[in-house]
Amino acid sequence: MTKKSMYFKMITSALIRRRSGMLVALLAVAIGATILSGLVTVYCDIPNQMRQEFRAYGANFILVSATGETLGRDATEAAVACIPASEIIGIAPYRYETVKINEQPFMAAGTDLAEAKKTSPYWFVSGEWPEEDGSVLIGQEVADVIRLPAGSAFTMTGTNPRGEAFSRDFRVSGIVQTGGTEEAFIFLSLADFAALMGDGGFDVVECSISAPQAELEAIAARVTESAEGVAPRLVTRVTRSEGAVLTKLQALVFLVTAVVLLLTMICVATTMMAVVTERRGEIGLKKALGAPDGSIVAEFLGEGLFLGCMGGILGVMLGFGFAQIIGVNVFGRAVHFQTALAPATVVASILVTGLACLIPVRSATEVDPAVVLRGE
Amino acid sequence: MYLLDLQGVSKIYGSVKALYGIDLTVEKGEWLAIMGPSGSGKTTMMNIIGCMDKPSEGKVLLGGVDISAESARSLTAVRREKIGLIFQQFHLINYLTALENVMVAQYYHSMPDEKEALQALDRVGLSDRAKHLPAQLSGGEQQRVCIARALINYPMLVLADEPTGNLDEANEGIVIDIFRKLHDEGITIIVVTHDPEVAEEAQRTVILEHGRIARIVENRK
Amino acid sequence: MIAFTVALGASLATAMLNVMLDVGDKVNRELKTYGANINVIPKEASLLDDLYGVSEGHGVSDRHLRESELGRLKTIFWAFNIVDFTPYLNAEARMSGLDADVRLVGTWFSHREALPTGETLDTGMRNMKSWWSIEGDWLSDGDADAAMVGALLAERAGLSVGDAVALESAGARRELTIKGIFEAGSAEDERVYVPLSVAQEMTGRPGLVSSVEVSALTTPDNELSRRAAQNPKSLSVKEWETWYCTAYVSAICYQIEEVLTDAVAKPIRQVAESEGTILKKTKLLMLLITILSLAGAALGISNLVTAGVMERSREIGLLKALGAGNAPVSWLILMEILITGAVGGAAGYFAGLGFAQIIGRTVFDAAINIKPMVIPLVAILVFLVILTGCVPSIRLLLSLRPAEVLHGR
Repeated sequence: MTKKSMYFKMITSALIRRRSGMLVALLAVAIGATILSGLVTVYCDIPNQMRQEFRAYGANFILVSATGETLGRDATEAAVACIPASEIIGIAPYRYETVKINEQPFMAAGTDLAEAKKTSPYWFVSGEWPEEDGSVLIGQEVADVIRLPAGSAFTMTGTNPRGEAFSRDFRVSGIVQTGGTEEAFIFLSLADFAALMGDGGFDVVECSISAPQAELEAIAARVTESAEGVAPRLVTRVTRSEGAVLTKLQALVFLVTAVVLLLTMICVATTMMAVVTERRGEIGLKKALGAPDGSIVAEFLGEGLFLGCMGGILGVMLGFGFAQIIGVNVFGRAVHFQTALAPATVVASILVTGLACLIPVRSATEVDPAVVLRGE
Repeated sequence: MYLLDLQGVSKIYGSVKALYGIDLTVEKGEWLAIMGPSGSGKTTMMNIIGCMDKPSEGKVLLGGVDISAESARSLTAVRREKIGLIFQQFHLINYLTALENVMVAQYYHSMPDEKEALQALDRVGLSDRAKHLPAQLSGGEQQRVCIARALINYPMLVLADEPTGNLDEANEGIVIDIFRKLHDEGITIIVVTHDPEVAEEAQRTVILEHGRIARIVENRK
Repeated sequence: MIAFTVALGASLATAMLNVMLDVGDKVNRELKTYGANINVIPKEASLLDDLYGVSEGHGVSDRHLRESELGRLKTIFWAFNIVDFTPYLNAEARMSGLDADVRLVGTWFSHREALPTGETLDTGMRNMKSWWSIEGDWLSDGDADAAMVGALLAERAGLSVGDAVALESAGARRELTIKGIFEAGSAEDERVYVPLSVAQEMTGRPGLVSSVEVSALTTPDNELSRRAAQNPKSLSVKEWETWYCTAYVSAICYQIEEVLTDAVAKPIRQVAESEGTILKKTKLLMLLITILSLAGAALGISNLVTAGVMERSREIGLLKALGAGNAPVSWLILMEILITGAVGGAAGYFAGLGFAQIIGRTVFDAAINIKPMVIPLVAILVFLVILTGCVPSIRLLLSLRPAEVLHGR
């Protein structure tokens, strides 16, 4: 039997046969590693997840015409192509024209209603979102004026840009409340709008993009370059404020994580220390048998290394589960597994465990073996 | 040349003097007992002879080498190379088997050798209990493992601190038989005890009182 | 060791609970950077008049709110939750060098309002439009002959900071110096802003304003507040009281309508609703992080307590060998650890307050409110944790025969 295999035999026996002490230490390390990997995963995922939530504020990027005319379909498509598809929450193009109901003028907006629902999640619709042609959403203010409840029919009249008069029946599918100017609009599907007004370009395209301000600016630069006649604009109220609030939130979670981690690591270290201190007698005996300090330290470090490794691996798995619970419960989405975090967690647990072992082992090896042996 | 030579050894703990100017020589192959009431300085003397403590004054020569001025680190090496320790409380590592406990001493000394360790256990009559954990052994068996461990590295000196203090009469007999065998093989043994029956087995008994050697009795046998 | 670990755990619990309980309030204030969440307009006025000018001329611009009444906003039940408010007076004006009319807006920039309660309040647009980027300077309310113009308008009219511009509205003409050009990223970029008094004078509407934007701290909407928003009269007396006394945006709107003559207060859903979403998520996030880290700390401590009890197996065996009954032995150990825990817990509580304040100061530049309710929570937590750590291990040790324990098996 070589020295090395005896070393491993001693370590594994210490781990396997000292069940309760070992379990206590392993549990402590695993808890520490779980909290470490869980919180850091959440922390890393927060900007992503919260950015999605911040899209509740609606469009943060709009496209208008640079020339003063409307936006052509080709130009719009070229501009939209500049936005990374994975970051698009919704893109709703709008066309506006004046129409009349009962000879009173109103603004009609043609849009892709399904996309509008995505770009403006704060709209409160009493009734239904229109699903078929011929049904429209009307703003609260319009509803107050023409006194139409959801489900009723009305006739829209007017003249289109080519000067042809039209008159068509529509059904009110729902009434929109926003507290903003949208309440004075009638929202039609693009198809209905085109049927009344003929084909035409868009007045404005509202985009909701899950990206920070700097990236939006980069997208804007790309749009200006590649889509002629399109002027991209950031809705600074939304982008700047989002940046400000998100920074705060991240700082909050960062500090919370730091405090929790600091305290947890100290907690793990104290437990490890308690577990090792319990074995002072053994250290004294080994010294009495003539073991050099180096070997004793190496044995405990070996155990610590193993514990740290096992606890770390356990913690990575549990921690990801814990992050997943937060992700699913808070954001309703799965969190990303941070690949780099797994080895980092294991290394961190090994370091903490090793350090926590080293302190009491060092102090125990400094004591006279006679004192330790007698001290029972 | 004496195997062990204490010259004017004193030990002072703070203001308490535990040993006063002890002079004692031990020949190679001798079996010596140290006796005395509690507080007479037995343990202190045992610690100094066992290289676990250093005298405040005087010299300790082990195999002709002065160890009283050595550093803690080299004392550890001396312990490892030259001394076999036997304790009253056995002090086995409770998560290692009997065999492994013996091998730990080999491990720190040089190379673990399973066969040799088994032979050592056989010498104390425990070869069939080699795979048992200390908790599965009786007190007497544990003490015999401890003896096997003390002998494994062929020490210059076997030092036993109350080796029978925790044992019943039957086991005490077994342990003393082993000591007799060791003595016949020419191993130097120093036993610290307060049991006159155990002390009588030795060739000489040193009686300590208040940190001084009160008298030395030659046992006839 | 146990005392120290309990102290760590207790400080963790104290810090996390305090931060968690206060995070809603703090984040709510941060979300105020999105600007107003309530818009107050005169009854029967349209919101659209400022966008496409369709309704101009059919009886809108002659409806107004009274500037003198604005101080009353700080007298409503939820006055404390009204963070800022700013009045606007809108008019069309002709600008020298441009053939189309421009929108002239009079407002407070940084106004000091004397409240009916005798206090003063600093408010105004500067606080509420934190996202505006300004070239030049903000106006102050005393600048009688200066204006701020939007970036798009400035570009169209070829204006830059320091230029003079003539504005004519309702027959009154005025020469103004451009003190700042702002970029708001919205329709405001096409407008001219002047102090409220200047606009009132120019348009001959002294003491009147067209609308008021209010920024209020609100509680996220729930079923009750939605029903109330539809029709407050549909609530039972008890529900109505709950609603009125909760800072729902609809309740605050209702209270604003009570104090301002002929006013309609509408929640700006883009801000109000989104605020609710973000707040809810943040609170839930903190709650879960708190629960999970507390669970971790609790496990860690009870783990150590178990280890501490197990270490004393010899002592327990000895006590039992001496003839002590199970109950006295358990009580002895439990009381000892509980006292240790209490000392550690008390120390930890104060350390935790420190941690909470560090978090508050660093993240929000404001102290975290210390909730006394955290004290019993932490105490109960520490007690339970110690109990779960002790009881199983004591039971286990008691079930062993004293001889075995003393013999070290």
